[in-house]
Amino acid sequence: MDLQIALLLGQDGIVNGAIYALLSLALVLVFAVTRVIFIPQGEFVAYGALTLASLQAGQAPGTLWLLLGLGVAVTAIDAPHAWRQGSRQLAGLVARQLVYPLVMIGLVFGAAGAAPKDWPLLLQVLLALAVVVPLGPQLYRVAFQPIAEAPVLILLIVAVALHLALVGLGLLFFGAEGSRTPAFSEAAFEVGGLTITGQSLWVVGASAVLIVALYIFFGRSLYGKALRATAINRSGARLMGISTTLAGKLTFLLAAAIGALSGILIAPITTIYYDTGFLVGLKGFVGAIIGGLVSYPVAAAGALLVGLLESFSSFYASAFKEVIVFTLIIPVLVWRSLTSRHVEEEE
Amino acid sequence: MNLKLKSLLAVAITAAFAAPVLADINVGVVVSATGPAASLGIPEKNTFALMPTTIGGEKVNFLILDDASDTTTAVKNTRKLLTEDKVDVIVGSTITPNSLAMIDIAAEAETPMISMAASSRIVDTANPKVKWVFKTPQNDIQMSTAIVEHMTSAGVKTVAFIGFADAYGEGWFNEFSKIAEARKLQIVANERYNRADTSVTGQVLKMMAAKPDAVLIAGSGTPAALPQKALKEKGYKGAFYQTHGVANKDFLRVCGKDCEGTFLPAGPVLIAAQLPADNPIKKVALDYVGKYEAAHGKGSTSTFGAHAWDAGLLLANAVPVALKKGKPGSKEFKLALRDALEGLKNITVSHGIVNMSAQDHLGFDQRARVMVKVENGDWKLIQ
Amino acid sequence: MRSLLAPGPILGVFLVLLVLGPQFLPEFHITLLNYIGLYALVALGLVLLTGVGGLTSFGQAAFVGLGAYATAWLTTATNLPAWMGLLANPWGGLVAGMVVTALVALLLGLLTLRLSGHYLPLGTIAWGISLYFLFGNLEFLGGHTGISGIPSLSLAGFELRDGRHYYYLIWLVLLMAVWLTRNLLDSRAGRSIRALKGGVVMAEAMGVDTGRAKLVIFVLAALFACLSGWLYAHLQRFVNPTPFGLHIGIEYLFMAVIGGAAHVWGALVGAAVITILKQWLQDLLPQLFGATGNFEVIAFGLLMIVVLHRARDGLWPWLARWVPEQKSALAGRLREAEPLPRRAVPSGGTRLLEVKDAVKQFGGLLANDRMNLAVSAGEILALIGPNGAGKSTLFNLITGVDPPTSGEVHFLGEAVAGLNSRTIARMGMSRTFQHVRLLAGMTVLENVALGAHMRGRHGVPVAMLHLERGEELRLLAEAARQCERVGLGMHLDDAAGSLPLGKQRIVEIARALAADPCLLLLDEPAAGLRFLEKQALAELLKQLRAEGMGVLLVEHDMEFVMDLADRVVVMEFGKKIAEGLPHEVQIDPAVIEAYLGGVE
Repeated sequence: MDLQIALLLGQDGIVNGAIYALLSLALVLVFAVTRVIFIPQGEFVAYGALTLASLQAGQAPGTLWLLLGLGVAVTAIDAPHAWRQGSRQLAGLVARQLVYPLVMIGLVFGAAGAAPKDWPLLLQVLLALAVVVPLGPQLYRVAFQPIAEAPVLILLIVAVALHLALVGLGLLFFGAEGSRTPAFSEAAFEVGGLTITGQSLWVVGASAVLIVALYIFFGRSLYGKALRATAINRSGARLMGISTTLAGKLTFLLAAAIGALSGILIAPITTIYYDTGFLVGLKGFVGAIIGGLVSYPVAAAGALLVGLLESFSSFYASAFKEVIVFTLIIPVLVWRSLTSRHVEEEE
Repeated sequence: MNLKLKSLLAVAITAAFAAPVLADINVGVVVSATGPAASLGIPEKNTFALMPTTIGGEKVNFLILDDASDTTTAVKNTRKLLTEDKVDVIVGSTITPNSLAMIDIAAEAETPMISMAASSRIVDTANPKVKWVFKTPQNDIQMSTAIVEHMTSAGVKTVAFIGFADAYGEGWFNEFSKIAEARKLQIVANERYNRADTSVTGQVLKMMAAKPDAVLIAGSGTPAALPQKALKEKGYKGAFYQTHGVANKDFLRVCGKDCEGTFLPAGPVLIAAQLPADNPIKKVALDYVGKYEAAHGKGSTSTFGAHAWDAGLLLANAVPVALKKGKPGSKEFKLALRDALEGLKNITVSHGIVNMSAQDHLGFDQRARVMVKVENGDWKLIQ
Repeated sequence: MRSLLAPGPILGVFLVLLVLGPQFLPEFHITLLNYIGLYALVALGLVLLTGVGGLTSFGQAAFVGLGAYATAWLTTATNLPAWMGLLANPWGGLVAGMVVTALVALLLGLLTLRLSGHYLPLGTIAWGISLYFLFGNLEFLGGHTGISGIPSLSLAGFELRDGRHYYYLIWLVLLMAVWLTRNLLDSRAGRSIRALKGGVVMAEAMGVDTGRAKLVIFVLAALFACLSGWLYAHLQRFVNPTPFGLHIGIEYLFMAVIGGAAHVWGALVGAAVITILKQWLQDLLPQLFGATGNFEVIAFGLLMIVVLHRARDGLWPWLARWVPEQKSALAGRLREAEPLPRRAVPSGGTRLLEVKDAVKQFGGLLANDRMNLAVSAGEILALIGPNGAGKSTLFNLITGVDPPTSGEVHFLGEAVAGLNSRTIARMGMSRTFQHVRLLAGMTVLENVALGAHMRGRHGVPVAMLHLERGEELRLLAEAARQCERVGLGMHLDDAAGSLPLGKQRIVEIARALAADPCLLLLDEPAAGLRFLEKQALAELLKQLRAEGMGVLLVEHDMEFVMDLADRVVVMEFGKKIAEGLPHEVQIDPAVIEAYLGGVE
């Protein structure tokens, strides 16, 4: 191997690692606040990318109907409570869960004058996000809020069940074949013999911006602080008047946004399938675990490590790539486990 | 209370198996409509809905079960079809491992089986159980030969191989490497990737370092586009070969301009409209394409669905013969159906012309494959 | 009808139905029951590992694969070296599979069981995926395509050809495994495994080698999975990697959790429910929606979410509500048991514990600064001080939970600083915890019997066969005796978690006493007790003192301390600020300052 190849592999590892890093941040966030190991994180990647691809192909994405369906479900669950709270509450609920999906459906079917197919890319991306991201809090409401206090294992198994259902829906919505979307930027730069594409800069740049944004969000903003408080001490946060339900929904909103955005970012450089999410999410999960499910910077570093490991092992022995990546993860885990000696967790 | 629980459980179990259809000819179908092989299994599944509902005046029921691309489920479903639904013939499964696992079960139940998977191992008559097993897709070896012939005649001396890290890629490499060796074609790289991988940069760099004259990509459906796009992006200038696994419109959609000029072997159904008018396959293939596109939209056909269609055609020809020897549902009928399948001669199907024999349970000859080139975003017959 | 509800008759009816099943069930039901049996065997391992031991594994499918591939390879390979000829049959395959699985599990266990918390599940995912891809990439194992032509099994010349034949074998093996597992859980070795869920610190303080206990259940679960794989290979007569992938590994965990991961029968219920449900959905949904899409997995996922919302602990506890608990067969015979041998009691005044200049530093924080104290036999020493004074840290130094940064700890004249808490406990030091660490689901008797762990010796194999009943009876009798002694005689069969907190503290004392210690370390035993209970506790401690026991007591209740203690040590900011007789300490200006300052 010469330096040229090493650099190319390194570049590839960093681009993939950046996506894993984003997902690992989302996983850390979700776990810290809700104790859910969010296996379906990857599904948002696929949903985001494929929803955008559907819009660009002039089709109505199936996620639209999921948005409406979950809206109806959430309304049905929350309506009695909202009714007792007063008509404003009820109106808010209906606006969020029923009117909003209908507006989205209207937009997709050309209510804004032009079908999304003919919109500029940026607006298409925003519409795709607007359809996919609200699924996060909706799913939290339906699947996790009723068992928010359950042990981690149960939350994990519910997450797995949700993952199965979402992958099944993905196949139904988008079919078995994959899709790609046009690049945000067709530019390419020559740096020391390396070709760097505009899209890969987008991926790495957007990841970096998001990581910093999360850092600021948690350090500075009131919501961020509330989330952090919930992460550190759930009952304490509740005593302080911070609603765990709100924290949970907010977290899932962020996680869904990060997932969908990751999907939209990589869809131009690779093909996305209805079931792409699982393996991508798993690799983000590896990063998250290396970060001990608490540390954002270490999780991001761990995710980059996974990306690089993957890139180099696919060069040396592609058939054994997964064997190599996952076997090498074990010593890292052992090392992390031994160095981050923490107080015994009790359930 | 306990008895009540038990009886509840019994009711639940009984309810789990709705009464089987006991009329007429029952065809049990196992396809991989979900899981990794879904892009192959779905068009197959759709095809069964288009098949005629009677053969030789008898009603035909297709009982379709999904095996989720998993061998355990494939075997379980096969057992269910055989023991619960008492099917007369099994069609399936979509992928090689599942088909291999089903052979024992079908042979044990003395029921003919028509596989829709590629590997020649499925109909390797060295295994006595294969007496009961037939298949409709061309063997990998047939397709490999076509590629190797095309390569050598185009002056290709060295080739790099990249395939799925599953039975498909593995089967292709085994067959392709055998023929390539015999024809003095040098394989300079042998790489694998996963269907859902987001990057193949490592493999691509290694292949390019070996400086091959041509690249063969053994994948199915849209995932086969990834290595090709990556190679183009990294500036590879040699010839591209794909396998017949990519032969659907989605592949062209995803691969786009990067796939211009790619060669691949395929069943004639892929370019049915371009076949000469005197080719008997043309009519049969166009008939299928017409029916499928009428139901699922223009450009929706895939050659995989056609494998299912061909299984239907084999049955349409064999069942009337077998009906003379026994009633559907009987042991005699199943044996007669097997014999009739083995005795099929000169049957035109959408992928070729079938001549079965005791040694050949596939029955295809050279007419079952054509070389195709991707031109202007569509398939173009070149042979 | 009432009597029919007892566990015995239910089990009887179940077994009779199982035996008679193949006589009236249709063929395909037998097929399903075969798969249920195979899955339940793996899920049973997970019950032991995850439900009981608290270790989550996604990798069991890989062990099933080892069992299946070992026998598949040995029975089909054509060019085996001569020395392996003996193994080239299904039985050789079984032995080889078990040996390979045990070795691999041992290796993986040694590596990954050290992982704490969430590192472990990810570790299991990692090697689960690694092994899966390894199966697919090894040419001699048939690669991704697989190995076909695996022979069927023969038992004493009788060839198992048909699903019904396998049915009896599979269910016999499964029921044996259930029996062995139940036996194990109802034993000394089983209690040490169940103690894992109470946390490593507690289990180690009871003398349980937690590392070993984890390894034992890990290997056992792997062996169950391997056995299932062996049966699978010969039933299926074909193996390829897909049935051993991560998705299936997750599904096994699913079965255990849905069935009730903490219950042996939960494995069976989970395997049955999931297998039947999938079958049912496959038949039902196409009738509802037509054959246009595949809704099975969607409906399956949603149904599982609903089930977990309604029955968090799985389905078994929900079913078991209808059946009264069966008491251990030994319960009625506790009085006949011969008492366990006791340790020689050090004579009154012997120096039991001596802490010299112990320092504990956490980063920049000096939690203990040159602490000195000593406890003699027949003496109660009270350790008091405001919150955060470093009392619990000192407890941890003495009991071996955390080694001191510097300084010495002597117990019975031996230097114990740096020894692990298990070893120190074995020397005769017992403790209770400030935050009660009982196993809430276990009975009071079982919790206390855990304290007597070090006084038994029989291990896992003997326990699985229940050949240690004599010793077990003596351990339980000892536990019962200690319960009586602390006034918990009424509560032997109550779940420990159902008692009020004050009573739970007393259970902890009984558990500590069951170890037959010569030094007792009590961390706030009187907290949450009512007046009369406090008096009873004080009486008990006085009696222990009279018997020659040394007691080190951390307590905030001054009245209780002053009335009981022989001497008092006062700590503040990690340092000893006073030591002496209770009435001397009470008037010590430094102490008053510390307490009043603290209150202010």
